[in-house]
Amino acid sequence: MIVDTETVTGGISVAELARCTGWEARPEGLCRGPVCVPLPPEARPAPDTVDLTAVADRLGMALVPDPEAEVWALGPESGGQALTSATAPDLTLPDVEGNPFELASLHGRKVLLIAWASW
Amino acid sequence: MWQALHSEIEDRGATVVTVALDVNPDDARHWVAEASPTHPSLVDTCHITDRLFGFTNVPMAVWIDESGTIVRPAELFTIEPSPLKGAEIPDDLPPLIHGALTEVQKFQGDPDAYRAAIEDWVDNGADSRFALDPDEVVARSGARPIDHSRAAAFFELGQRRWSNGDTDGAVPFWREAHRLHPENWTYKRQAWTFVTTPEGELPDLLQGPNDVYEGSWLEDLRAQGGGETYYSAPDLG
Repeated sequence: MIVDTETVTGGISVAELARCTGWEARPEGLCRGPVCVPLPPEARPAPDTVDLTAVADRLGMALVPDPEAEVWALGPESGGQALTSATAPDLTLPDVEGNPFELASLHGRKVLLIAWASW
Repeated sequence: MWQALHSEIEDRGATVVTVALDVNPDDARHWVAEASPTHPSLVDTCHITDRLFGFTNVPMAVWIDESGTIVRPAELFTIEPSPLKGAEIPDDLPPLIHGALTEVQKFQGDPDAYRAAIEDWVDNGADSRFALDPDEVVARSGARPIDHSRAAAFFELGQRRWSNGDTDGAVPFWREAHRLHPENWTYKRQAWTFVTTPEGELPDLLQGPNDVYEGSWLEDLRAQGGGETYYSAPDLG
């Protein structure tokens, strides 16, 4: 997930955080599926904003800068297993024509998700 | 291959979804056009599925049931026997090709067994012995230390540079991703291919030694235990 410096210093909207990471900022903390991690009150500077550095710290997400480009990349949560639960994460990707496809649209069917590459 | 599998299982309530881990979507389009798939065929230029599902190489599969629950986490697999398995390797081949073929012949996995496991799950769902419970899925997904999170972030910054036309600027970020998560072959093979493929040609699969990155496919594969380790068999027990 790429963010600009302003987002790192000023905070990220709760909606954007959920959309990009799957983690929701709730009163009880950061939650995804059945897993919740407490977040200190000072990490919520406004009701719709959360301190991204605090999120990164609590969830073990690397926050790495590209100083020249003035952007940062937020890595996935760490410190546990690659999957925090067996609930399939939300995934929206373009098809080869560029049309967005939501994995959740296949609910009700079994899905065999296969990673491949040209290389 | 994926289209044939999809055709076999789609009327039984299952769908194949392929994800091409290609920073350059044009590289994937060539192969997709040849396959003419009727299943969803997606392109993941940021390797976001690495972080979401734990992909570290290709091909890997994740099984997801009707409720959106993962019943098998990311695992290397094959459903067709390799034509290279058992083939004679001439002694006079160039060392890089000879070495690569030798290691490929050590790849593990039983294509028939894995295909049978898929079909058993498609037909029997949660009653299939190959469908794992949620705790086992999480346990098998593998550990993710902070360095793997850093590697994902460095890879994404490099991908951003590359996609913006700064191909040289991507290199230091990708080198760092390789150093932080050397077991993630998607980071390495993607980067190596860019520097070892002659312009205008199809992606180079040998990914030999080069002046840009420290490693290469054969060197790194041997350093990590050879073909048996690189392509271990999925645990179907």
